[in-house]
Amino acid sequence: MSFHYGQGYAGGGHRPPAAPYGGGSGPYGASPSAPYGGAPHQPGGQYGAYGAPVQGGQYGHGPGVAPAGHYGGYGGQPHGGHYGHQAPAGNIPPGVSQEAYQWFHTVDTDHSGFINLKELKQALVNSNWSAFNDETCLMMINMFDKTRCGRMDVFGFSALWEFMQRWRALFQQYDRDRSGCISGTELHQALAQMGYNLSPQFSETLVRRFTVPRGRPGIQLDRFIQVCTQLQSMTQAFREKDTTMSGNIRLNYEDFLSGAVTRLM
Amino acid sequence: MAYHSPYRAPPPNNVAQDQTFLWNIFQRVDKDRSGVISDSELQQALSNGTWTPFNPVTVRSVISMFDRENKGGVNFSEFGGVWKYVTDWQNIFRNYDRDNSGFIDKNELKLALTGFGYRLSDQFYNTLIEKFDRQRKGQVAFDDFVQCCIVLQRLTDVFRRYDTDQDGWIQVSYEQYLSMVFNIV
Repeated sequence: MSFHYGQGYAGGGHRPPAAPYGGGSGPYGASPSAPYGGAPHQPGGQYGAYGAPVQGGQYGHGPGVAPAGHYGGYGGQPHGGHYGHQAPAGNIPPGVSQEAYQWFHTVDTDHSGFINLKELKQALVNSNWSAFNDETCLMMINMFDKTRCGRMDVFGFSALWEFMQRWRALFQQYDRDRSGCISGTELHQALAQMGYNLSPQFSETLVRRFTVPRGRPGIQLDRFIQVCTQLQSMTQAFREKDTTMSGNIRLNYEDFLSGAVTRLM
Repeated sequence: MAYHSPYRAPPPNNVAQDQTFLWNIFQRVDKDRSGVISDSELQQALSNGTWTPFNPVTVRSVISMFDRENKGGVNFSEFGGVWKYVTDWQNIFRNYDRDNSGFIDKNELKLALTGFGYRLSDQFYNTLIEKFDRQRKGQVAFDDFVQCCIVLQRLTDVFRRYDTDQDGWIQVSYEQYLSMVFNIV
């Protein structure tokens, strides 16, 4: 007997509305919670079969080191600390840099003390001045929204601020021709430097998929952040299944679904 | 007829009427009169029945299904498909939202997805509720329900492509796995 995935539509009763030609772009939705958060802290580049970003290491946040989206960082973030510690400096909470603090109040346009999706989207732009896409904004809110209420307080925002700064620097570094977007070749080089062992075709496909409608071929900062963060997360998912480190895994339907649903959203 | 309906054509004598009806809606939704409905225009027009903004990711998913030229929106001929798609989902949702609360709970979600033919464990339904319950109510609103179904459908389609012997198991390499979840195969 063959395995039943569902969607046999046999009963005819309640079938889901059919899409004319498949679901186009847009990775799996938005939605709650952020497994991206506690990004995988890989020990190093031992994994022959598939690389992964090397975290930290003796070079700190040098080239090729992808920023990890961890909350844990704030509180004791060394970044910008010398601003924060200086003198009274208003009511800046501990661990929040003055720069992030000032931005927080600029971005929090309704003065609610929280940054929601709309406010974040208004604040972030790509190098071509387009607004960040909703998916990336939601992903980042989910990563830094400690309370899981769909918005960030000043601490979450401060951590996001550091996260953004690092990705922005990497983006600029990998945009070798200074075109303002990352081409397939540039993405392949970037991923290779981060330690991923993936084919050039993989990067080309990703770039094609995330190129904005009618724009020049290449991905903007928002998609770059999204792609790299999800790659980190899904690599971790794969690694957990690949216990023998053979570079191949066997998994069943529901394992596949729950891996993608929990990690990608 | 400019728009095609996937599985139920409207009676022929209603076509002209339908087109006028749709045209009126289209003009109201297309606020900047560009002839193309963008994500934000559609988002403003849609309601999830709970007085919260419609999930922008659901909007993107739906538009991308009907946006043939990858122009970032839908023109009038494509809008017919969008309208039908959304109203079909609304009808399905109402079937399961028996108390008209605008939300369906885990059991109702299970009934709905089982009705579509999915066979999933109880634990997985907990995961779905947790992930798609954007409003943190332990239940799923209309927009999030649609997104949940779209995601499941895409993932199932891609899994099925690899599961050639249909036994519910696949063996994939690292890059294949990544391609699957990025839905780019």
